Order: sequence, then C-alpha cells, then structure tokens
Amino acid sequence: MMELTRRRLLGAVGAGVAASALSAVPAKAATRIRHYWWGNPERDKRTFAVIETFQKANAGIEVSGETIGWGDYWTKMATQTAGRNMADLVQMDYRYLFEYVRRGALKPLDEYVGKSLMIKDFDQGPIAGGMVDGKLYALNIGSNSQVIVHNTRVFKEAGVDVDLINWTWDDFAKACEQITAKSGGKVKGSDDLSLMIEAFESWVRQNGREFYGADGKVAATVDDVASYWQMWADLRKKDVVRSKDKTVILDPPIAESGVAVGDTAMSHYWSNQLVGIQAVAKDKIGAAMVPHKKGGKPGQFIKPSMFMSLSRDTKDPESAIKYMNAWVTDPAITKILGLERGIPASKAVRDALAPGLNETEKLSVAYFDAIQSKVGALPLPAPKGAGEVRDAFMRIGTSVVLDRAKVKDAAEQFIADASDIVERAQ
Amino acid sequence: MRRFIARNAPAYAFLTPWLLGFFLLALGPILASLYLSFTRYDMVNAPRWVGLANYEYMFTRDRRFWKALNVTFTYVALAVPARLIMALGVAMLLDKGLRTIGLYRAIFYLPSLLGASIAIAILWRQLFAADGVVNAVLGYFGIQGAAWITNPDTSLYTLVVLAMWQFGSPMLIFLAGLRGIPKDLYEAAEIDGTPKWRQFTRITLPLLAPVIFFNLVLQTIEAFKTFSSAFIISNGTGAPADSLLFYTVYLFNEAFKFFRMGYASALAWVLLIIIAIFTAISFLTSKYWVHYENERD
Repeated sequence: MMELTRRRLLGAVGAGVAASALSAVPAKAATRIRHYWWGNPERDKRTFAVIETFQKANAGIEVSGETIGWGDYWTKMATQTAGRNMADLVQMDYRYLFEYVRRGALKPLDEYVGKSLMIKDFDQGPIAGGMVDGKLYALNIGSNSQVIVHNTRVFKEAGVDVDLINWTWDDFAKACEQITAKSGGKVKGSDDLSLMIEAFESWVRQNGREFYGADGKVAATVDDVASYWQMWADLRKKDVVRSKDKTVILDPPIAESGVAVGDTAMSHYWSNQLVGIQAVAKDKIGAAMVPHKKGGKPGQFIKPSMFMSLSRDTKDPESAIKYMNAWVTDPAITKILGLERGIPASKAVRDALAPGLNETEKLSVAYFDAIQSKVGALPLPAPKGAGEVRDAFMRIGTSVVLDRAKVKDAAEQFIADASDIVERAQ
Repeated sequence: MRRFIARNAPAYAFLTPWLLGFFLLALGPILASLYLSFTRYDMVNAPRWVGLANYEYMFTRDRRFWKALNVTFTYVALAVPARLIMALGVAMLLDKGLRTIGLYRAIFYLPSLLGASIAIAILWRQLFAADGVVNAVLGYFGIQGAAWITNPDTSLYTLVVLAMWQFGSPMLIFLAGLRGIPKDLYEAAEIDGTPKWRQFTRITLPLLAPVIFFNLVLQTIEAFKTFSSAFIISNGTGAPADSLLFYTVYLFNEAFKFFRMGYASALAWVLLIIIAIFTAISFLTSKYWVHYENERD
C-alpha cells in the first residue's frame, strides 16, 4: 500500500478538486431535475439504468433519482409537499391522485401533449385514468389488474381443471377442497383473503355496487361485507385455507405469501407483482382471475398501476417533460423498464417488447389479453381516508378471523367505522 | 453583574451548542405543536384553527384513543415492575458473585443496547411466531405453544418479556447503588444471625430506595414512550385487533399515515400531561418511602 504523506494527500485532494471542477463545467450549463419514486431493489436498478441512459442522450440535463419503499413514500412525499420541496417528477398512485391534484400539488400536462409529450398511440383507458376534472395530471407508466396467483404444479397434481378466467367462487371453493384433500392438508387451497380489501372490492362490484359511490361516500353495504366474511369463515371451517396465525399478519412481504412459501396454492396480488412472486416461489406460477359470481357483474378492473406526475415545485418543466416523454417512447428506455411497473399503455412499446419477454412476462401479457373483455370499468378514485378504511377493514376483519366477533356484528361495525372515517377525512 | 458574567461566561460558552439546539430544534417545534394541536393540518394546506375540536373528539368520540391508552397503561403497569425486578436481581448477582468480571457486565448490558433496535424487534417477531423458536422449545416439553404474536390475548405479553430482557441500564444504576451500601451493615447482620431475606428487606431495599425511585421514574417515562418494538412487531398497525396499539404507534399513524398533524399534536400533548402527572405522583409519594443518606439523623 502506498504510504500516505502530507504531500501525497494534498496532491490527491487537489486532483479531486480539479476533477470535480472539470465535471462542473458542463454541469453548470446543465439543468437538474429530480425524480422521486417508490420502489424495490429490482425497480430501483432499472430506474437508475434509465436515468443513466437518458443522461447520455441528453447531456444538458442532469437527473437525480430518489427512491424509498411504498410504506414511507407517502409520508416523505407529504413532508416534501408541505415544505414546498417536491421533486420535479413524482411517481403517483391512482389512490392518491385526486388528493394531490385537489391540494394543488400537481401541474396539468395538457399543454405539452403532442408537442413534447408524445402519447398519441396510448390506449384511451390508461390516459383517462390519469385525468382529473377533464385535465391530464398523470402519465400512465404501466397498467395493472388483480390476479389470483396460483401454483401450477399443485393445481395439476390435485387435478383442478377449471377455466381460470371464467371461474366462479363455487369453483374456487371446490378447488380449495380438492387441493387440501389431495395434499393431505399439507398444502391448503388458498391464502385466507378475509382481510384483503382489494379482493373485497371485486366482491362488492360483483354485487353491482362500487365500494365508494359517486359522492365519495361508502356505498358497500353490511350485507356485502357479511356475505364476504361468511364465505371465508365457511372455508376456514372446512380447513381448506391458510391458518389464522398467518392470516392476521398484515401486509406481509411477497416472500411470505402462501404461494411463495408453499403453504397454499393461491394468493391474491396485482399483476405487476407476478415477476416478483415468481422470483421467490419454488414452483411455476400461473395467473387466474378473481372468481366471479354466478350471473354477477364484472368485479375486477384494469387500473393504471403507476403514474408519473409533474409537481407544482418544478422549475424546469421542459426538461422534466423531455424526461417523461423518454420514459414512454424511447425504445432503449422502455426496454430497460420492461413490464416491471405494469403493462405499458403504448401499443408501439408493447409490440417492441414482445419478442424479448421471459416466461413470467409472457404470462402477464397473456393474462392481460385474456381479461380485457371480462373486466369492469375503472372505479372512481377513492376519497380521502381510503387508506384508513383499508386499515379498519383489516382490523375488524381480524376479530372475525380469530372468532372474537360475529360476522354480522363485525360487518355492521365496519360499515359504520368506514363511513365515519370518510366523513372525518373530508 | 460583571463578576457574575466573568464567573459564568465559560459555562455558558460550553452550554451554547446545547442552548442553540434547545431553542432552535426543541422549543420551536414544541410551541409549534401546541399551536397545531388546535388546528386541522394535513401538511399540504395551511393549518386551520379549530379550537378545542381535536381534544373534544379525542375524549368523546375516539374509541381507538381509549384503546391505545388501555394498551399503554397495561404495558406500563406490567413492564416497569418486571424490568426493575429483573434489573435488581441481576445487579445483585453481579455485585456478589462476579464482581471481578467486567466482561459479564458488558454482556448483560448488551440486550439493552440492542433492545431498542429494529433488528431485535424483528428477531422477537421470529422468536414468538407460531412456528418460531419459543414454540419449538416448548414443543420439546410436550407443550403446544400459542401463536403468541398474532393472538391478541398474548401479543402484549411478548412485549413485556422483551422489556424485561432490556434490563441493562437500570441494572447498571442498581449495581452502582449496591456498591454504595456499606458492607459492615451486612457483616453486622450476619453476626446477629439475620437471615438473607431479612437482610434484603431491612438493609438493601431501604438503602437502595433513592436508586429505585430514580429508576422507577425513568423507566416509567421510557415505558410510556415505547414505540419501535410495537411498531415493528405489529407492522406499524397495532395489529392484531389493536392489541399492540401503543399510544405512540397510534400517534405516529395519525400524523404520518393519515396526515392529521393537528390531531396528532393534540395526542402528543395529552401524552406529555399523562407522563407529567405520573412523574408528579412518584415525587409526591416518594417522601413516604425514599430516604436519603444525608437525611438520616
């Protein structure tokens, strides 16, 4: 090792200063934009690769990326918004879009469309999902839908042979029984979805209602909740779903889901998570729709999984839009992104990606094609307080799962609490 | 006056960083939170004055506030004595038997250093999970363990056990206190044939009273502020069925999950007042059971 003398040290520092001064010359002319997203290691890796690619092609623009997990993202975002220090471009979720627009935290994109933001070949649905009060506030960077992830090996061994796109809750229950019986109870049919409000939302829509009505109030009824929890109580009684101990752990990581661990043959997820689950599951996974009700309405929907929005605090909207545009049109960049954030809204991008897809990605594209005509309309964005309602659903559902409350009483309490929460949040 | 300045200037010079920190980083936010507790504030729009509405809601309509108080009081009532007894027991062992071995003290103190950390809370969750280590050990003895953490009836007790395990800092203070008790008292008692238990109740406890009092006040305040272990073990929700809804967890969720900064500030002030009341009670009752060396006549 080189001996460190004062002269060498000074020399090294001097060289460092010179080097940073050199790189500072072009940087001085450059504009700097900040991009903030919630992520996971895989997504972060891809996004930083995108930033690098973009900077190479646009020497004048320096992009600084910031990432954090979903759990802390909205906390930090709210803090930054309060401090008037939002990143130029923020990743936005459908659930929060209206809230941020109504608080005046986002800028509309309409004036850039067709000039610097080229989204002519986008599907109409994904564009409409980013509109609030007739203005476009959020650019779709991937679409998503609910999916019942299942273990194909276990399905085959148990001889479950049903149409997984058009199946009903009766088929689902039968499959659970078949799987549990065939494995001697070692593999249960499904994760217990009692506490999963996302699955319950499909259930309410199958009953012909939205969870939240057009006035933003809770429109789901006590009967909706009670019948849903009763169905799972029956499955628990038959001992064909995952044990209570596992069920009451809220929001466990993907790696602990029944399908990943091998406890169960089915779990409920969003379609862009297929890639992540396959990465941790031992067996090959497949994608099924959320079961239907006999003669019921479609419950599932296709939603924009993630948006990119321009913040109120941006100083250089032109550069920001340039970056945004590259995300959905530049082939080198869309290739890096793949399907990790969901299915791209641009047909041109999808076609370009098609030949290079791996097996799981092909599965999610095939699944998307299969459900197109089976899904319902996108529900209106949830009102303020929806996150808290989700917590209440899990909390009250827990006492049902643990047999500490009667299904009917708990359902009444949930509807009452949910209405209170929404009212208080306005 | 000049003499006062000359005499104290160095002290204030050394205090300056702390004073700056206090006025800029503590006092400002404290006053801000008092103001915010009378407002509705979502961190995006400007705070809106609502008078006492937050406090009114808290005491009259918020069921979860009472639930959180209930959980926290139960925890304080169980965890503080448990931890102090554990700490005193270990301190006495170390004082008697292992007095030469400093390493043991370090080892015994370790859980407290680790205890507050996220890693231990995660470890704890694994230990007490339905298929965790605790149940595996119980299984050796033919006992069918419960799902400790995910059962609302037992989840709080796993945290009490965790609190017991983090006995290190009161233990060190007890150890110092035990060292301060003159050994000739025990020798005299020994000669008189006083049994060990009586030596403990008649010599150790009374002479240790000021230390016990100090530890009691400190640990009670600590226990009221318990946050990270409950937050981690319940995934930040206070689940299952709100059995781990510690006051601070509830406060955190109101503030940073649901953006009700005003309401959370009100909650924080109520907690401050509760802790102040408890500390005051400790001090007021202390004169009946705490006696100091220099007070002895």
